Amino acid sequence: MVATAFDFYLPSELNASHPPERRGIRRDHVKLMVLNKKTGHVSHDQFFHLTDYLNPGDLVVMNNSRTVPAILQGGLYRGTKQIQKAVEIRLARRLSEETWDVLVVAEGVKLGDILIFSPDLTAVVTNMKAGSPLKTILFSKKGTELFNSIYALGEPIRYEYIYDKWGLDYYQTVFASHPGSVEMPSAGRAFSWELLFKLQRKGIELDFIQLHTGLSYLLDEELETSPTDNYEEYHLSEKTIEKIHKTKASGGRVIAVGTTVVRALESAGVTGTLNGVTNLYINKQFPLKMVDGIITGFHEPKASHLDMLTAFVPQDLLWNAYEEAIDHKYLWHEFGDMNLIL
Amino acid sequence: MLKSKVVMITGASKGLGRALTLAFAKEGTRLAICSRTSKGLFEVRDKAVALGAEVLAVTADISLNRDVERFVAMTEEAFGKIDILINNASILGPSPMPLLLDYPEEDFAEVLRVNSISPFLVTGRVIPGMLQRNQGSIINVTSEAGNIGYAGWGAYGISKFAVEGLTETWADELSSTNVRVNMVDPGEMATDMHQLAVPDCDYQLAKPEDVVDVFLYLASEKSNGITGQRFEAQELHGRDDDGCHCI
Repeated sequence: MVATAFDFYLPSELNASHPPERRGIRRDHVKLMVLNKKTGHVSHDQFFHLTDYLNPGDLVVMNNSRTVPAILQGGLYRGTKQIQKAVEIRLARRLSEETWDVLVVAEGVKLGDILIFSPDLTAVVTNMKAGSPLKTILFSKKGTELFNSIYALGEPIRYEYIYDKWGLDYYQTVFASHPGSVEMPSAGRAFSWELLFKLQRKGIELDFIQLHTGLSYLLDEELETSPTDNYEEYHLSEKTIEKIHKTKASGGRVIAVGTTVVRALESAGVTGTLNGVTNLYINKQFPLKMVDGIITGFHEPKASHLDMLTAFVPQDLLWNAYEEAIDHKYLWHEFGDMNLIL
Repeated sequence: MLKSKVVMITGASKGLGRALTLAFAKEGTRLAICSRTSKGLFEVRDKAVALGAEVLAVTADISLNRDVERFVAMTEEAFGKIDILINNASILGPSPMPLLLDYPEEDFAEVLRVNSISPFLVTGRVIPGMLQRNQGSIINVTSEAGNIGYAGWGAYGISKFAVEGLTETWADELSSTNVRVNMVDPGEMATDMHQLAVPDCDYQLAKPEDVVDVFLYLASEKSNGITGQRFEAQELHGRDDDGCHCI
């Protein structure tokens, strides 16, 4: 199923190709567009002034999943015969301590094919997914030993608008502490500890959940994934749910940092499951139950994340705001500027 | 109670790092240890396991961001969190140590890089988890030569000045939290590093095992609220000072 969000023209100079720190500004000094979800009113500020838009008693929920280096290079073998010397593998989702769903960037991969990443790390293709380019592979190592190899060999996923090989560290939020995402949960990237302390001093509650992101782009426009095809693992604590109820009961607002947090919280709201896997698709028909506002980056044309934003704000208001963001030369993607919808 | 706490120790294959690993193993902690070379490291791991500890031992050069990420991510994967971090790893530089007046620039830069960047990187990587739980103890190993400048301690002493600055600055930045950052000057000990620093040492030295108590104290809840402090291990241990102003 192809995502159904609206389309628009994004000038290429608005793709953030450099992290803010390498553009000469602090990570928390990127621009902030504030969109009133009821009136559509838009104002412009700096992300570091986020405290001005939140009230004591509001709750900000962040995703502290940490990005893993998800690109591996290996040789592809069938039996003892080498089929392809250098093949790129993109980790898509961890299934167990030793198995992952992956995108193998090569034609004609078959069940039983072997990938050799290094003298001590190999994998075998154990499952081909019908209607999906993803394959399941079983690694020769598991648990921490597999992590050891993935971190020693892997590189972060970098998209086509990135020209420099930014290290993995640039693909982390300052609070990331649970490795497992293959793409950075980037809405949290603009936060610094200085800003988090400032929010706390104002009486704004902070909390953390984990949603380990999967692979959002399968390197083929024809194969664009819908959220319903994209299963992601999430973990919430009882304490988070209690905080949400307490915040709402006392008139505060629950602000999700990123679409991943919306997905995890609303999944728990729908199923009551605190630790699970979700393929929840949130769009304008979805009645948000847990979350009142969102801090997010700017999403590219047709991205299903835009569908999710229409659960917060009518599409025409969002469309006007995005036009204004383009006029004001906001920067898009994981190293770009921020949008508060409240 | 230190039992089941997760303790991370850098530079654990010999000397003080080895003694600390075994001391914490006896307390029933879970341990994540690293060293640049695997030989001594795995021997220490096996001894700690024999004492009943659960140990993750990782070969890593923690002056490199990539290795720090790998080591800490493996620890988070294995144990889920880190309660106590001991930044122990450091290098001495050329031996015998030349006067600063004679110090080669390349060696000076390397000692400063390794001894200041390593605790910066590891602490920066570990602190987020501690802040989210609002608890944790970070202990940096310093030296008397990092508090007072002495002729003949060259880049090593100056790099430890950086460690003391890191400790005080972090402690101040985190003063509104329950994450504490302290430093310990272990004093002179009979270690390989001391042999390199003072090749013709003719006075009695403490054993690394003699100085672990202050680390156990700073790791424990007994030291809650204590942060930004500098401890001299051998003074606390009650050992008579021999008057030598060395590490």
